[in-house]
Amino acid sequence: MEQYLRNLFLMSVLLYVLGAAASALIYFFKKPYKTSMTGSVMVNAVCIVASGLGGAASAAKILLAVNSLKLINLSSTIPFISLEMNLDNLSAYFVLALSVLVFCVSLYSIGYLSHYNGKRNIGLFNLLYTLFILAMIGVLTSANTVCFYIFWEAMSLLSYFLVVFESEKEENTKAGTVYIVMTHIATALLLIGFIIIYSYTKSFALSANTAAIPGMAKNIVFILFLIGFGTKAGIIPLHIWLPHAHPAAPSNVSALMSGIMIKTAIYGLVRFVLCYLGVQNTWWGVVILILGILSAVLGVAYTSMEHNVKRLLAFCSVENIGIILIGLGVSFIAFALHHQIIGSLALTAALLHTFNHTLFKGGLFLGAGAIQYATHTKNIEDLGGLIKTMPLTALFFLCFSLAISAIVPFNGFISEWLTYQSLFASILPGHIGLNFLAVLAAAALALTGAMAAAAFVKLFGISFLGLPRSEQAAKAQDVPATMMIGMGILAALCLGIGLFPLTMIKLLDKVVFSVGGGSISGQLRGGFLLAYYPLTISVNSISPLTFMLALGVIILLAFIVIRIVGGKYIERRYGTWDCGFEALNSRTQYSATGFSKPIKIVFRALFRPIRKTIVEGDSQYHPEAIIYSTTVTSIFEDYLYEPVYRALLRFSRRTKFRVQTGSIHNYLFYIFALVLLLMLYNRFA
Amino acid sequence: MNNIVYLLVQLLVILLVAPFVNGLIKKVKALSQKRKGASVFQMYFDLYKLVKKKTVVSNVSSWIFHVTPYIVFATAMAAALLVPVSTKILPPQIPGDFIMVVSILALGRFFLMIAALDTASTFGGMGSSREAMISALIEPSILISMFTVALISRSTSLPQIMETVQKVGIPLAHPVYIMVGLALLIIILAETCRIPVDDPATHLELTMVHEAMILEYSGRHLALLEYGAAVKQLVFMTLFVNILIPQDQLIGVIGLGALILSLLIYLLKVILLALVMGIIEVNTVKLKLFSIPNLAALSFILAFLGVLQFLILGGKHV
Amino acid sequence: MSNLAVNSNLLETLSVLILLSSFVLMASKRINSYIKTFRIQSFLIALAAGIMGLRSLISEGRWDFLVVCLLIMIFKVLYIPNMLSKTYKNVSYKVEKDFILNIPILVLLCCGLVVFSYFTLTGVDGLSQDVLNLQLVNAVSVIWIGLLFMISRKKAIGQIIGFLVIENGLYITAMYSTQEMPFIVDLGIFIDLLTFVLIMGVMTFRINEKFESIDTDQLNNLKG
Repeated sequence: MEQYLRNLFLMSVLLYVLGAAASALIYFFKKPYKTSMTGSVMVNAVCIVASGLGGAASAAKILLAVNSLKLINLSSTIPFISLEMNLDNLSAYFVLALSVLVFCVSLYSIGYLSHYNGKRNIGLFNLLYTLFILAMIGVLTSANTVCFYIFWEAMSLLSYFLVVFESEKEENTKAGTVYIVMTHIATALLLIGFIIIYSYTKSFALSANTAAIPGMAKNIVFILFLIGFGTKAGIIPLHIWLPHAHPAAPSNVSALMSGIMIKTAIYGLVRFVLCYLGVQNTWWGVVILILGILSAVLGVAYTSMEHNVKRLLAFCSVENIGIILIGLGVSFIAFALHHQIIGSLALTAALLHTFNHTLFKGGLFLGAGAIQYATHTKNIEDLGGLIKTMPLTALFFLCFSLAISAIVPFNGFISEWLTYQSLFASILPGHIGLNFLAVLAAAALALTGAMAAAAFVKLFGISFLGLPRSEQAAKAQDVPATMMIGMGILAALCLGIGLFPLTMIKLLDKVVFSVGGGSISGQLRGGFLLAYYPLTISVNSISPLTFMLALGVIILLAFIVIRIVGGKYIERRYGTWDCGFEALNSRTQYSATGFSKPIKIVFRALFRPIRKTIVEGDSQYHPEAIIYSTTVTSIFEDYLYEPVYRALLRFSRRTKFRVQTGSIHNYLFYIFALVLLLMLYNRFA
Repeated sequence: MNNIVYLLVQLLVILLVAPFVNGLIKKVKALSQKRKGASVFQMYFDLYKLVKKKTVVSNVSSWIFHVTPYIVFATAMAAALLVPVSTKILPPQIPGDFIMVVSILALGRFFLMIAALDTASTFGGMGSSREAMISALIEPSILISMFTVALISRSTSLPQIMETVQKVGIPLAHPVYIMVGLALLIIILAETCRIPVDDPATHLELTMVHEAMILEYSGRHLALLEYGAAVKQLVFMTLFVNILIPQDQLIGVIGLGALILSLLIYLLKVILLALVMGIIEVNTVKLKLFSIPNLAALSFILAFLGVLQFLILGGKHV
Repeated sequence: MSNLAVNSNLLETLSVLILLSSFVLMASKRINSYIKTFRIQSFLIALAAGIMGLRSLISEGRWDFLVVCLLIMIFKVLYIPNMLSKTYKNVSYKVEKDFILNIPILVLLCCGLVVFSYFTLTGVDGLSQDVLNLQLVNAVSVIWIGLLFMISRKKAIGQIIGFLVIENGLYITAMYSTQEMPFIVDLGIFIDLLTFVLIMGVMTFRINEKFESIDTDQLNNLKG
């Protein structure tokens, strides 16, 4: 059985490699457009099959196999460098999420890439894309830290190339720079953490016993990992690369980056802190919980201010990472206090939200890509009325919006409900500070949900409803069928998990059991696919399917009663009420800026909005045009990064004159001095 | 069997009482202004009239505009099914708790907000944008106040919460419940678009939130939306009265007589609350839009103090 | 809560209401609503003292708590607020306009103070959970809030009210934590307070006359 699964998984990896090789061929031989397009379809088809196999193997692994699968074990003569890959439950779970997303994104890419039609080398894109997926699989299955580090670095670099893929725009290269700097700082910290661990355990293997590490070193390693993984995950205040990089990357890549790449950081935190180091202090969890609350609230606050579709979604990822971290924080606290059940519940919530976020955020980015594909703009102020020209895209987008706002009957609600339940369960007599924190986290979660709904009402309402605000929006046409199917599968999954939460949670329970040693299956009742059984945690239960049925019945009854009482439905189409002025047009509609203004005013202390009014014309009193613009200050960039950046610049300028003089003799002297010092150190240490 | 009785009672009581409560509040306002006012049953006639009428639909709108009234009404009703009017007829397990109720109502609100944007009307956008702000501000205090009473009964399920209250004695004299009660009162005013937050009686640009969102609706669609709003109002009122003024400990026996008695007392409580709400509405002024955050903060603080009292009391469960 | 005596439950509720009244005080701007809120707060304290007094009268036959209750009624509920109202009528300043921070933030800070006093009091040796249950936290919070109130208000009447609230807080702290208070100490506090109010009342009037304002910042001008 295990052998069989192992082969299945390896086959999927092999297929990805094949895909990569094929795209490399297309890239190097620079085939004419038509062939390269066919090639691209083939490569994407290979990715679809590969992800199907990989996903199936991972799901089967979680459900059927007990031991972790040893995928590859190649050692070399160079010490420590050995390629070891294992697939245990945790890895399999993340690979499953990856596979589902890759499956849909590859389908979507078949249609989406056609807009690079002759402008770009699609071979190169596909090469980077497949390698990126491979690197992520590598990260998720590495069995030693060296391997993990190499794949992590590969993942970061490949995603950098993908971010700057449309390099003709200056802002994209700038975004890439921000991204690569942030991600490398993070990687450096991770490396330091790995080396500290090695210096105590003398082993790079992830199965090594970390009991030998003293408490202080563990604390330091935890902080390094938190910052390192936190940067990749985009927790506030390390999030600044997200809103730059996501809009710059092609939409299918942003879907992968936001959907799964930032989740590798969550994987890293669970893998390295929970499984590898073991949670030893309560304050670890507390720090994560506080960061989670901050990220969720501030992330959603910035989400509601954005008018660029993809920047909005990027900030929303920050918010959702915050929600995941709230669950993770509670679980770390509970594990540190040896409350296995609460810990498992919270971990289930966090991991389920990870999966859910993969689905709906991936879907939203695909939807954003579809909008961009159809209208060539990312600014929602130029959109409007797309629901009439792109009905299916609009429907899927609505599903994702509901899911991300934690509204029944979609999957976002299930994971937020579990998070609430874990917060609720974690309030126990005695832990005063923790109790307050849990209450605050619940309040933050509520605020986040409502603000996210506000932001997505704006995003959906302004871009899909009303009248088109620009030429392109009016002329938009619906996207190719493959793109639609890609989004449709994700939307169906969102609804499916929302209606049948137990399927996912039973699967997840095995993962959590293998990670935390606790299981909530005792708390779960009911059958596998049977909808009648609600999701029950201790005495609280929800049943979204029953709700849906009730909703359907009520709608039907209302419809019938009204039909009987009121007779046939007679509709008269007429213009929107315009107060008699007869001047309603797309410019008189509410704009996105106007929509979010109340929230901007309420939280002005946070946003520090700046507004500019420029009057054009001969005199102020006879304006020909008035240009009004308003922006929100990004306090983290302005008050946290900007000073550091300036200080660095100053320091570098100074060193240019004092240290980096350009004289060879000076440099030789440095080497001389350094070797001397090293010799001395060797003597005395 | 129990399930069916429960469903029937819930449906009937909520559907029948909701418009009446609306009429009652209007009557209180009218009387305070020395007017005779419309009959307390006026809303039933209004609904009937609206259902009979032809419907005008904006030619800009899409299918969202058509489905929204049904969804708003159905979500309000579905939420109502999860908030028991009497604890005498509880089914063994209700498939949802207060988090679910909040989320269900959020579904209705989400559709209402996008439907307001669907017609490209400026009023709709305005109402929608304001509603987004108000709901974002009021949501944390709903969650925290319900969280608090849930902590006392160790369960987030509403029947459980309401049964626990029966053992408290007089919740209004209980340090935790009284805080939650005050918070809930503000929440009810905000959620049902009553005067300090919104003015249900006018269509003026300055006040309108809910009315602006449904401005484009007419005929049977409007009837459904109005009915949905009334049901939602009754859901919150039921939540308030059944948590703060429990009735069923007075009646020991289980049976039809007890059920009817319990429902009568419930009706009495709702009428009382409606009178109080009417009086509050008469005696307060509409806050300017950007003072609403202060009101929301007040209700959040009250709810938070409630949690604090619970924790100070040592996290005792009843 | 069914196992607890009803009056103990009532005392808890009263202590919450006393805390709430200091929140209301912090949130209000009008000087006459300061006075009104203070009156209500004192009334609630008198009520609490009355309940305790009745209990000790029934169980131990002691009456001194009832006298205290009566004293609070006379002085804090009737005399001092009336006197302040008189002063209020004499000064031109009716609504407080400038605070050190805006009101919502001040109220949130008050919330923080309650959390803070709970957090710190649980660490104090010799305070069992039972004592904490007796709403010591609320009482101590009232003191803190009174102090914050004095800090945040610039006008003299605000200062007086703040001081009185601190005194109220001290009083209920003592009352709730020991369930009794030496009668003589009580009387001492009362006399102190009366003198303070009298002096401040006269002073406020004079400050107003002299500077045509009761802004205590004006006192800066007095220094040489």
